[in-house]
Amino acid sequence: MADEDEDLDLNSLSDDELVEQMWDDLYDGLADEITQGTHILLERGWQPYDVLTKALVEGMRIVGVDFRDGILFVPEVLLAANSMKAGMAILRPLLAETGAPKMGKMVIGTVKGDIHDIGKNLVAMMMEGAGFEVINIGINNPVESYLEAIEEHQPDIVGMSALLTTTMPYMKVVIDTLKEKGMRDDYIVMVGGAPLNEEFGREIGADAYCRDAAVAVETAKELIARRHNKGPSLEAAG
Amino acid sequence: MEDGSEGKQTMEARGGGRRRSGGGAEARRQKRRSGGAQQYKFITRRLAPFEVLSEEGLSLIEENAETILEEVGVNIVEDEETLALFKEAGADVKGERVRFPRGLLRSLIATAPTEFVQHARNPERSVTIGGPNLVFAPVYGPPFYRSLDEGRRYATIEDFRNLVKLTYQSPALHHSGGTVCEPVDLPVNKRHLDMVFSHIKYSDKPFMGSVTHPERAADTVEMAKVLFGESFVDENCVLISLINVNSPLTYDSTMLGALKTYARAGQACIVAPFILAGAMAPVTPAGVLAQTLAEGMVGIALTQILRPGAPVVFGSFASSMSMQSGAPTFGTPEPALVLYGFTQLARRLGVPCRSGGSLCGSKLPDAQAASESAQTLLPSLLGGVNFVLHAAGWLEGGLVSSPEKLVMDADQLGMMQTMSQGIDLSANGQALDAIREVGPGSHFLGCQHTQANFETAFYRSAMADNNSFEQWEAEGGKDTYQRASERWKQMLTEYEAPALDSSLEEALTEFMVKRKQAMPDAFT
Repeated sequence: MADEDEDLDLNSLSDDELVEQMWDDLYDGLADEITQGTHILLERGWQPYDVLTKALVEGMRIVGVDFRDGILFVPEVLLAANSMKAGMAILRPLLAETGAPKMGKMVIGTVKGDIHDIGKNLVAMMMEGAGFEVINIGINNPVESYLEAIEEHQPDIVGMSALLTTTMPYMKVVIDTLKEKGMRDDYIVMVGGAPLNEEFGREIGADAYCRDAAVAVETAKELIARRHNKGPSLEAAG
Repeated sequence: MEDGSEGKQTMEARGGGRRRSGGGAEARRQKRRSGGAQQYKFITRRLAPFEVLSEEGLSLIEENAETILEEVGVNIVEDEETLALFKEAGADVKGERVRFPRGLLRSLIATAPTEFVQHARNPERSVTIGGPNLVFAPVYGPPFYRSLDEGRRYATIEDFRNLVKLTYQSPALHHSGGTVCEPVDLPVNKRHLDMVFSHIKYSDKPFMGSVTHPERAADTVEMAKVLFGESFVDENCVLISLINVNSPLTYDSTMLGALKTYARAGQACIVAPFILAGAMAPVTPAGVLAQTLAEGMVGIALTQILRPGAPVVFGSFASSMSMQSGAPTFGTPEPALVLYGFTQLARRLGVPCRSGGSLCGSKLPDAQAASESAQTLLPSLLGGVNFVLHAAGWLEGGLVSSPEKLVMDADQLGMMQTMSQGIDLSANGQALDAIREVGPGSHFLGCQHTQANFETAFYRSAMADNNSFEQWEAEGGKDTYQRASERWKQMLTEYEAPALDSSLEEALTEFMVKRKQAMPDAFT
């Protein structure tokens, strides 16, 4: 088996075989192989958007399903997400050039007074793994930091995290500020953290509370899709 | 029930006449029905602690901790004062990163007491923390509250008061604890006042202070001064407070601010690295132990720099995690090994230690909760932990406080109290007289030794149902959750607040009102 692996030349595979091999390589967290596979498909004339959706996003979907089902472990999913990131690094500028539809962009950070970030970073990595562009603004963020990041990056999604019961109310401060500025409806607001629940998310005016990283990814996809379906005329009318 | 009241009438009818000293039916009813209400003193162990590390193993981990401190160091985030204090003490400070020469922290810690008394407003409830002693305190920190009747919801100050009352009424809980649940119905910047006041008013057991802001820690000290007197507070420990390390290897300014406030006031801090192994530390017990020791020594040393001799406790919260989901897991063998090794390290460091509890990941007070809690509680006793936070009421990885779980756990704590005393080897304990009296065949139920000992011979569980199937069924076929629900509600109806001097209560109320008026409600 080991010999076979070393001998495997991705160039020798047909397109279909290569894509399937890339699903496996994502699953196994092989970043170099994903980089190579991405280049080969592009060289063969694939559109960047097709490489993204057919090879990478589909591969990560398989990873996501097995993570949900308890077959894959967290460290393995992180490796897979990192491999996805390696492919995305190549595709991102090309996708921008070709004006391909975007998965979406997210600004994410832990709120003011709170320096806990392990869970938030997991969400950021999983979101990247699913093809989202993520701007991680770190810990202890006052509302000004969110506003600056929103201004600079024009995200689709604003994500907020808190681990402490004493800091979670600050999420409402950020959302209220967005409302005051008339910006609230321009963004999807997702919140998460151990002391939160659905009810809290609703009460502070977030679009969604996500209990874990996998749910965050699913929710983001769903909300983005819903947003795209909402036509501009409707938006203007509403 | 009817029989009972009839008996009572008969007794009353006879009232005033001469009685035998035995007292008859009514006297015994009185005694047995109130059974268990008398408070237990904190535990002084007679069992030697169970140890998992040899001298060689301990030295190895201690050396590894020094290596971590020397090579990697810790981050002190947004706290110039602490950085300056460590620099002055001989540490290497670069930006927020602080590295310590080998042995520096251990030498600073030498002034920390090996044991100390935390005073309660009722002197009989004062506890000794350290040495062979063990103090049980209830769950700390959950934002949620779950009861059989209401399910899971955010906790309120009313829940907080009820949990304080139930803790007060539970003989084997020696301590009133701190944030028995987070009263999220109150403003963040004011809820500490109501929490501290509740501990003072509804209990006479020792309690913990607020740590969510240095000012709130200062408020706690001020309230303690009202209660105990200023000079008493300066000379004695009346507060113990939980300072978590933001593992890996990070101290934040909130926790350090509270630590500094309490240490300067001569009040105790529990410096506790908070580790879900795999996320905040390596996955191996030896790795967790070395990191815990390195992190803990930093905060403990800081208390001694600020006030040599200040009471301080070395804490460890260490759980395993599900590598498939990232969720913390409890009652697993690895954290138990960490606990045993940790208590050994703390004893060698010469400071009291805090760990363990009745921890579980279960959502309900069910079989999972019971088995996981037992798997963490027994090591807490056997390992020689001095202060056991979360000893009662913990559910769902610490996200939920539950009154049912609290009374179930409190029952188990009573068992630990008995267990801790080891085997009685007195003449009565040896019971040779009983064996001589009964001889072969026959039975021991009526012999003199049994008559003299039966009442206290075995721990009587208030929660377990050992009745016949028929009786259990006739009484409604209730499971533990249902029985516990009935029990805590019954306890609250019987609750009587311990007397509190009205002038003290007024002074405390006045202080709270003044502090609340001094600032608008805030959410951070």
